[in-house]
Amino acid sequence: MAASTTLPNTKTTARISENASNSTNQRESSYRHLYIVVEHQDGKPIPVTLEMLGEARRLMDNFNGRYSSSEKVVAVVLGNNIKKLCEELIYYGADAVISVENPNLQYPINLIDTKVISQVARDKVCASKISPEYSEEFKKPRYMFFSADNIGRHLSATVLTELESGLASDINKLVIEDLEIKHEHKTKGQLVRYEKTLEMYRPDFSGFLWTTILCLDNRNPAIQREYHPQACSIIPGVFAPLQRDPERKGVIVDFNPELEQADKAVKVLNRQVTKSPVDFDSHKAVISFGRGIKDAPEDNIKLIVQLANELNAEIGVSLPISKKPYSVSEPVSSLYLNPDRVIGTSGRKVAPALYVAIGVSGAMQHIAGMKESGFVIAINADTDSPIKDECDIFIKGRMEDVLPSLIEELKKQKQSMEVHE
Amino acid sequence: MEIAESMAPPLNIAVIVKLEPDFSEGNVSYNSDGTLNRAETKSILGPHSAIATAAAFYAKVKYGAVISIATMGPPIAESALQRAQLISDAETLHLYSDRIFSGADTLATAEVLKTGIKKMEDPGTVDIVFSGHRASDGETGQTGPQTAWKLRYTFLGNVISYNIDMKKRILTAKRLITLQGTPDVIEEIEAPLPVFITVDPSYKSVFNTVSLRLASVKYQKEAEQRAQNYKNYLKIFNAQQLGVDSKFVGLPGSPTIVYKVERIPKARANRRAEVIDGSDRQQLRMAAEKIHEIVGRVVNQ
Repeated sequence: MAASTTLPNTKTTARISENASNSTNQRESSYRHLYIVVEHQDGKPIPVTLEMLGEARRLMDNFNGRYSSSEKVVAVVLGNNIKKLCEELIYYGADAVISVENPNLQYPINLIDTKVISQVARDKVCASKISPEYSEEFKKPRYMFFSADNIGRHLSATVLTELESGLASDINKLVIEDLEIKHEHKTKGQLVRYEKTLEMYRPDFSGFLWTTILCLDNRNPAIQREYHPQACSIIPGVFAPLQRDPERKGVIVDFNPELEQADKAVKVLNRQVTKSPVDFDSHKAVISFGRGIKDAPEDNIKLIVQLANELNAEIGVSLPISKKPYSVSEPVSSLYLNPDRVIGTSGRKVAPALYVAIGVSGAMQHIAGMKESGFVIAINADTDSPIKDECDIFIKGRMEDVLPSLIEELKKQKQSMEVHE
Repeated sequence: MEIAESMAPPLNIAVIVKLEPDFSEGNVSYNSDGTLNRAETKSILGPHSAIATAAAFYAKVKYGAVISIATMGPPIAESALQRAQLISDAETLHLYSDRIFSGADTLATAEVLKTGIKKMEDPGTVDIVFSGHRASDGETGQTGPQTAWKLRYTFLGNVISYNIDMKKRILTAKRLITLQGTPDVIEEIEAPLPVFITVDPSYKSVFNTVSLRLASVKYQKEAEQRAQNYKNYLKIFNAQQLGVDSKFVGLPGSPTIVYKVERIPKARANRRAEVIDGSDRQQLRMAAEKIHEIVGRVVNQ
């Protein structure tokens, strides 16, 4: 269906030429639906898969209401023995599932997965089985989601290169909007309306800034080019999954990929579960530290380790710390200024009974990783730090002063408790 | 030592690197609102680029590989190439520098890097391309795999170690796979050359024999010499010399644009903190009691 020009929330501008708008409608009807690339392990979905489905459902319900259309949420699954998983994906919000079952797809391998997903994304037959009304002009998906993890991050990049479109990574907010854009290259400085544009918000490395990325067709007459799908990778743990509903109905479409021998060149020889030396989940307390250690990094880390020993706590860090900003001795650096310890959207999510944040300012991306902790104590000299709104006790002071006293108190009380026992 | 297995053709390696803000204390500067002050912050070879370069050096020591380092950036990015040469003892340094490259998103950057790596193929095909895990400023981690796909190379991500069968031209590698809510997995894979590798942050080269350690020292000394005269090894290409299509690079070649940048609004307070004075022993005692109550209570469950 062509987009109406009398949509709500639309600012019509006389300067936008009628022709541009018409050709827009023809162009954009070639791109339909929201495709989600599912991640799973042995048929069990990784949580972010269900989170993406939940957000996709909300976005497309809104979209279909607003544009009087019936575009679908389509889950794309690659694997072996995935029948049950396909049904589950419908219960969690998919209108349709494209299932690619093949022994060569048992484990994620970038090369073969990229080939298969790109074929799926361009397949008219699949699209017609999903929704006959849009099958005529179907070229590629309108939107596409991947998860921003070890697998999806790379897969999204290779798939979108194959599909010759753009990609935004590590997204934590999505909005679909009609936008009027004036851009030196995209529109040659003219004001042009881009309908149904996916605004993709990504927090920057500091955690304080939000950058909105758009993937836009080039409407500049000199460099006309279409860039669809509009695609992104989504940070795990950000969006809420829907309630599982076994009454929900959808279609499952089987897809048979065309594979050459060369596509099977990568072989998995062995897979072994490994335990990260950093183990947040089996500790009742987690202590994290941030840039507040800067006045005496080595000594402060030693104090933090003492506190951790006292509480049998695992130690985490904020994202800036993982970039090794301070010169400390090599063992301390490799043990603690370590990406493996990052808590937040760029690292791990924790929910211990007790979380102690020492010299952590509390950027949004860190908060996302610890907000479900039971009880939160912050030690910080600055009462204006955002962490103050995310903790139960805020101990105001420099860690150099607070930690020795606190450790001493803890020790004293422990001794007296042991005496009583 | 496995160097110079006489029948095998030499191994050609390329590394793509990036000049990035230096996040180390004393060099990094933050604005009062916590954002990076780019004007006041120095630039260095990115830490992940440095790890990728070290991974290439492993192939030089073990297999006698010939190394080229490449970067896209302004003239000042030479310093990143020099640093990478010091780490890897590279034979060639490539700088792709042109005003029309500026404003490129990751796809348009990958187009330049792909074209550059293709240019290295004059003497023989590039067998392995290394790139870092992600840049510490952009943090997308996209440019590597995008370049790989444009080159039509097999992409292997999160590699923590690798070895090569020089006769069969097959690489075996270990990869670390970390997924939300599942135990980490170390996966061992094999793939025929050529391959494109992004190196996991935990990668460490291991030179576990005397001959490898001696070779490593020899190449390190050579690297110091070369890096002092790095300009002798440096080739600078503009868009025309590189032979890229101007429609596919820089702003015109970028599907994505930055629409807006804003401060992330302060979230609604989730908790109400009791503020206590860290220099007040009495108050700290109460905090300690609370801590024992929580940790102890859980222990007793």
